[in-house]
Amino acid sequence: MRLLAALVAFFVTGPAWAGCPLDLGRGAGLVIFSDHYMIAFRPDPLRIEVGEPFALVFNVCTKSGTAGELVAVDAQMPEHKHAMNYHPSIVAKGDGRFRAEGLVFHMAGHWEISIDVRAGEEIERLTHDFYIK
Amino acid sequence: MRRALLTTALLAALAAPAAAQATLDWSEAEIRLVGQHGPWPPPPARDPSNRVSATPVGIVLGEHLFSDARLSGDGLVSCATCHQEGRDWSDGRALGKGRADLDRRTPSLWNVGYSHWFGWSGAADSLWAHTIKPILDAREMAGSSARVARLLREDKELACGYERAFGRKPDGDDEQMLVNAAKALAAFQATLVSPRTRFDDFRDALMAGDREAAARYGQSEQRGLKLFIGEANCNACHFGPRFTNGEFGDIGIGFFVRPGEVDAGRLGGIAALADSPFNLLGRYNDDASGANARRTRHVRRLHSNFGEFRVPGLRQVGRSAAYMHNGSLATVEDVVRHYSEVSPDRLHSDGTPLVRALGLSAGQSSDLVAFLRSLDAAPPPRPSPPPLCP
Repeated sequence: MRLLAALVAFFVTGPAWAGCPLDLGRGAGLVIFSDHYMIAFRPDPLRIEVGEPFALVFNVCTKSGTAGELVAVDAQMPEHKHAMNYHPSIVAKGDGRFRAEGLVFHMAGHWEISIDVRAGEEIERLTHDFYIK
Repeated sequence: MRRALLTTALLAALAAPAAAQATLDWSEAEIRLVGQHGPWPPPPARDPSNRVSATPVGIVLGEHLFSDARLSGDGLVSCATCHQEGRDWSDGRALGKGRADLDRRTPSLWNVGYSHWFGWSGAADSLWAHTIKPILDAREMAGSSARVARLLREDKELACGYERAFGRKPDGDDEQMLVNAAKALAAFQATLVSPRTRFDDFRDALMAGDREAAARYGQSEQRGLKLFIGEANCNACHFGPRFTNGEFGDIGIGFFVRPGEVDAGRLGGIAALADSPFNLLGRYNDDASGANARRTRHVRRLHSNFGEFRVPGLRQVGRSAAYMHNGSLATVEDVVRHYSEVSPDRLHSDGTPLVRALGLSAGQSSDLVAFLRSLDAAPPPRPSPPPLCP
């Protein structure tokens, strides 16, 4: 449902994002927006297991069409205010594509992932919630 | 659908007088959480960083080395001195004792092959690297790479076993020989998988909808399990088939080793890991892809790591006293009391604390202990190791 809403929002916002490829290799995955950015991403592997390392594959687009950069990815459990025990590394794959490696959700529950992007001087943070069972 | 039917079946069981006394009502959500603690046993552990992992010839060499005191500096201490089979691969002491008294408890080796961090502070990222530490530590075995290499070269049986395991004569440099001895020792230790328990029978019956088999699990044990996965939230950290998420936590146990000296726990462990020539980023990792070094490459050092220690698995927990990294709690009852009464002043959390005083009643404490003891089982006797070179 969340993905459907995001895709509906994507299409009604007009043609500004039309050139942004959503295909991440195994479908679009998740899509999040701000006024300036649209980010499609998916976990690799697709199912996140408690305590198991995973990566996130990103496609970062900007409304202006300028190149967007993925600056940082992190996650915390908002309820307990604790971060991951691991610091992800980011590799640029070209054409707005990035891979963040080394994430581990070491407990089940609500994790908030923060995605820092920029297309100029200012960094903007977008977030997304994962619920791990 | 199957779980819904099981819930219905269990509810139906409650309506029958005989079963009503034996099986509690388990919701679909609870059944899912119980299911996460199995199945057991898991497939054999295999470590891609260790070329002799899960190989019969590596395992048998490791088993012979495990009880060989000639690995130690004075020829008196072997791995088996502290990790005794008859004491569930620990020593029954509050604090370990090698050639000198140690500051931490000797952990049991049950299921150690499935871990990703080793030692109370996670100072090693592979079982073989962790095995090197006690061999070299002056307070434990006080051995050396030269001594280990000489033993492997000069003892005819060991030299033969080495050649069978590694496909070459023991003619490498001393450090490589030490690493390979540790890899064989790790291959053996990874075979130490704890037996199935009463809990496993209940868990499997619950998942399969077998109410008769499920009813054989005691009511006190079931109530304790409900607490464990529910109100007490123990499974937040004691997660999965081994009852550990393999990470680290501060649960309010003191970290002073002696006046003026602290055990920094995970904070020191990460520093030691980074300094070790034997970590998975080094040249002794047999996995050329480097994929098994992801945790090592990305582990983050946090201020909150101070005073954190590894979350131990709970299988065989009732058989392997004492408890906590410093052996400060003598019994399972003491552990449950600790969690019931832990002082919030000893815990550091900016948000909702994961560990809080549970305030358990006497009945709840007894139930939790009953459940924990249902994770114990007597292991079958082990046969003597086969000869190295028959």
